[in-house]
Amino acid sequence: MTIQAWMMFALVLFCIGLYGVLARRNLIGILIGIELMLNAASVNVLAVNYHVANDPAVGRIIVLFIIGLAAAEAAIALSIILAVYRQRTSIDVANLEELKG
Amino acid sequence: MTDFPILTVTLLCPAAALLLTLLIPGRMDRLIKGVNALCALASLVLAIVIWIRFDRSVGGFQMTHDIPWVPSLGIHYTVAVDGAAVVLTLLTSLVFFTGVLSMWTLKERVKEYFAFMAALVFGVFGVFLSLDLFAFFFFYELAVLPMYPLIAIWGSTRKEYSAMKLTLFLMAGSVLLFPGLIALFVRSGGDTWNIIALAESGAFSRQFQIFVYPFIYIGFGVLAGMFPFHGWSPTGHVAAPTAVSMLHAGVLMKLGAFGIFRVAITCLPEGAAYWAPTFATLATIGIVYGAFVAMRQTDFKYIIGFSSVSHMGIVLLGLNVYAASNGASDIARDGAIFQMFAHGIMTALFFSAVGFIYDQTHDRDIRHFGGLASQVPVASSMFIVAALCGMGVPGFASFWAELLVFIAALQTYPVLGVCAIVGLIFTAAYVMRVLSTAMFGPRNPDWDHLVDVGAWLVTPRVILVAVLLLFGFYPTLILDMIRSVGAGGGP
Amino acid sequence: MNHSLIALVCVASPLIAFVVALVGFRRRHGIAAGIVLTSGVASLVAAAALLLTAHPEAQAFTSRWFVIGDVSIEFGVLLDGRTLIMGAVVALVTLCIQIYSLSYMADDPGRGRFFAFLALFEWSMLSFVFSANLLQTFIFWELIGLSSFLLIGFWYEKPSAVAAAKKAFIMTRIGDVGLFIGLILLFRATGTLDVMEIGRIFEPQGQPSSIPPGQIELIALMLFIGVIGKSAQFPLHTWLPDAMEGPTPVSALLHSATMVAAGIFLVARFHELFLDAPTTMRVMLGIATFTALLAATMAMVAKDMKRVLAYSSISQLGFMLIGLSAGSLFAGYFHLTTHAFFKALLFLCAGAYIHGCGTNDMIAMGRAGVARMRITTIGLVVGGAALAGIPPLAGFFSKEQIIGTLDGSGLFYTIIRIGVYAAAFLTAYYSFRMIFLITRPNADSLAVEDEPAHAQHAGSDHSAGHDPAEPWVMCGPIILLTLGAIGVGFLGGRIAALLGIEHAHAPTLAEMAPAVGIALLGVALAWFEFGRTGARQAGFVASFPPVQTLFEKRWYIDEFYQRVFVRPVVWFAKLCYGTETRALDGAADKLARGVVRAGGETARRHIGRLQLYIGAAVASVAVLVFYLAME
Repeated sequence: MTIQAWMMFALVLFCIGLYGVLARRNLIGILIGIELMLNAASVNVLAVNYHVANDPAVGRIIVLFIIGLAAAEAAIALSIILAVYRQRTSIDVANLEELKG
Repeated sequence: MTDFPILTVTLLCPAAALLLTLLIPGRMDRLIKGVNALCALASLVLAIVIWIRFDRSVGGFQMTHDIPWVPSLGIHYTVAVDGAAVVLTLLTSLVFFTGVLSMWTLKERVKEYFAFMAALVFGVFGVFLSLDLFAFFFFYELAVLPMYPLIAIWGSTRKEYSAMKLTLFLMAGSVLLFPGLIALFVRSGGDTWNIIALAESGAFSRQFQIFVYPFIYIGFGVLAGMFPFHGWSPTGHVAAPTAVSMLHAGVLMKLGAFGIFRVAITCLPEGAAYWAPTFATLATIGIVYGAFVAMRQTDFKYIIGFSSVSHMGIVLLGLNVYAASNGASDIARDGAIFQMFAHGIMTALFFSAVGFIYDQTHDRDIRHFGGLASQVPVASSMFIVAALCGMGVPGFASFWAELLVFIAALQTYPVLGVCAIVGLIFTAAYVMRVLSTAMFGPRNPDWDHLVDVGAWLVTPRVILVAVLLLFGFYPTLILDMIRSVGAGGGP
Repeated sequence: MNHSLIALVCVASPLIAFVVALVGFRRRHGIAAGIVLTSGVASLVAAAALLLTAHPEAQAFTSRWFVIGDVSIEFGVLLDGRTLIMGAVVALVTLCIQIYSLSYMADDPGRGRFFAFLALFEWSMLSFVFSANLLQTFIFWELIGLSSFLLIGFWYEKPSAVAAAKKAFIMTRIGDVGLFIGLILLFRATGTLDVMEIGRIFEPQGQPSSIPPGQIELIALMLFIGVIGKSAQFPLHTWLPDAMEGPTPVSALLHSATMVAAGIFLVARFHELFLDAPTTMRVMLGIATFTALLAATMAMVAKDMKRVLAYSSISQLGFMLIGLSAGSLFAGYFHLTTHAFFKALLFLCAGAYIHGCGTNDMIAMGRAGVARMRITTIGLVVGGAALAGIPPLAGFFSKEQIIGTLDGSGLFYTIIRIGVYAAAFLTAYYSFRMIFLITRPNADSLAVEDEPAHAQHAGSDHSAGHDPAEPWVMCGPIILLTLGAIGVGFLGGRIAALLGIEHAHAPTLAEMAPAVGIALLGVALAWFEFGRTGARQAGFVASFPPVQTLFEKRWYIDEFYQRVFVRPVVWFAKLCYGTETRALDGAADKLARGVVRAGGETARRHIGRLQLYIGAAVASVAVLVFYLAME
């Protein structure tokens, strides 16, 4: 496959993730959207790495970092979501607007 | 012995006080006070040793101790003293020591109080000793920050307001200052923060100096109580507890003036000369204005606060005359630095006497007092001594300081000089007003029960009076020291 | 023993006494007084030894005190005719007053402090007189002001005393500013701080070529402003009458040999300089004459004995300045010397009377029969007559010298001469009015007592209900000064020799006649109105009530100052205070409040829809990327 195709695929994946983040009202749904966006970024990096880079190791290392970050982020986000749920028995973002002026 | 890093050790005295205070459990408050007093005494002794070991005939910067800090940015920890720094180090340790003794009766949150105070003094020492611009600024901010909790927790009279006002003013000053300092660093080539190296780099064009100087001058000037950015200072004095007022007026305001002397005028002489008429005028307005406002105040501490504005105006006037002469007017420089020292000791004495009275009466309105001289003779005589010193009566240190500044000012700016000298009349007027209202006059029977300063608590005050008299009668001791600034070169 | 050492003893012993008495024995009054008296005696002996043995040629003993810039400040003593005479006078008068105070202040709870301050005063004055350096001159000039502040306000719980001390300090401070500027200008013009050197620069006839005449005038004028403040000349004279709120010995000291004498001494010290500034000298002459006349009019209606004496001091200081500014060092200096004796004497007499009957009012004093205090009354008559210029007492010779110097011609000098004669006439009149009111009381006369005898005297000079007594400790100094007031007048030749003036103006009988005649005329008028049996005891001005009131209210000068200077200053202070609280502080507070409000407004704009924010962020990034790609 050409690099264009890979990048097209990453773009579609990213847009789906973005749509999830923007449209879902459920916090878990938003989290899944974020994961999709991160994966899109990983695919993009790997595509560029495979076709362009001199040293393929660099891209893999970056992707490993992204995966690690995503795991950490998911853990923290889930614990926050749990805490929010315990406090207000709801994880609908529309209800979370305490910080507005 | 020659390699003994005496300056670093001096700097570590308050740091040690801070650490030990944090380690000691809060309920052992006597131990905390004792440890702080010991560390302060150690710094005082070291300051005197520095004074003695400093070679006046050589001058310049001595006792340098240099450690790379952030080498990639050219930041070093460099301490060294010249004559001015020696004098101000002694001032700081004196005020630190007497300040700790003045707070001997503190009961509320002793541990936190002394921790903050030690941090403050650590910063002040750092500023006076540092020769690296970055470290200078680092310590400068370090010295300013503890003021907020010190005033907001242990203060009185609208303490949160005053603490916030003080912090905001000083932060605003820093906001001006920081870009100025970075501009110096960048323009000089970006590989050293050493003040002397910066000054000698020759990288600053006249245009650049004229543009940057006001940032640095006003940035430091805010802390020096420069008119019209002095508003934080009297309010802060009033709200602060005794020892903090002493440190604040006695030492902290000198940081600003010292910054102007050490950084602004040293690194940007042409800019300083260009701006000198403007800033000298502002300083003179400050002298007269401070005296007039003090004339209307009825709160002891407000009066002293505005007298500080007036007296710091003399320091700033001296520095500007020095700047205008392109560094040729030794008299102005000597006078300005001497005035920093004399005013520091004098205000410390003022606040220590007022604090003593306030602790017992919880009243500071001069109209509520009368005949204190017969009720608390020792405390009042301390106050009267400070007042006489404030009026520039011969025999006390500030007479010489003011004399030198006025002589220099008359030569360079005759009109401003005459205005500043005429300001002496109004100084006399407001000082006399306080004395005749509160210290003299018919005694107010409400305060007949006041207990005078005891044998132990009188010690710090006696030290301050003795210093004022010593340098009042033998000014050459300190003048020789300050004059050595002019001699010799860099470290 | 060499002279520098003797001079050191003379100057330093009061300082030592001050420190020891104040620090060590403030509460042990007897010891404090003893120490101070010992130092007084030591100073007097040393000053007398110097006067008798030292060569009147100027010589200075100095040692380096410190260095400012390139100027080394040398402190030390300067011995020449002027300083030797003044030093001896100061030491003698001070000692008399110290002895007198032993009795006068015997019951005061703070007399340890009192004696310490007296020593401080003596030290400042002696150091000022002997000063060899401009800076030293200024320092001790200031210290004289400080010590007189401390002594005038000695009874610091008495509001009037505190107010008087404050007034004295601030009014003289105004003069000090002039002096300070003058001394700096003088230093810049001559390049030296050495008093002897400066004397030498201005010594030769004609003005020194190195200094432009305008500058000399300016320097002289500035110095004169200092003199106006210190020696209580118009327009800064108003502090001196109030200064008698202090204990009477302090007034005696202040009005005779110390505080006010310092100003005159300064003019005498730099007389060579003043001679080179003819315009300033004319201004001085005018002001001095006006002051002499003005104060004399106040003295002729006052009832308070100390006030009469205070006004007369102002007037006599004017006379001294007339002598000096008419160009005669000897005339002014001679009057300074003689005046020190008879004015101290008069104040000590006043103190003895007040001590005896508890009032300051001369009419009440007379009716209380204080004239029975023999020695004091003799002192009063001698002192008063000397003040009036009756031959052969001290005041006659010196005043005669002053009148003799006014030999200029032209309208200006004619006016001055008339003024001086009028002032001399009034002087004789008011001094004998005082004498007659006290010695020849008349219970049926028109004179009204302001405060009856034996009234509680406002917590000051403590009233005594007993018969007037004259303790020997008080009489001794009075006798001594009486002898001085009689004898010093004959020492004119010797004083002239010490001042280095060979041909002292020896008056002929014809020249003396007008001075004597005027004095006698004044005495005669006083006798007619106050002295003779059945006199109405009301002055001639009483027939013109507005004038009487004008004089009694001191020409409304105090009120004028209150209105024209004090109020504007207070107003300006209010303005500054308003600026501070409203404009500066207000602006800062408003700025802070504005920032806080802006923060609140911004916060209110937020609706809390998280996804909207994210969407907006992504959209703006997209726009940015698109824009950058187009570049």
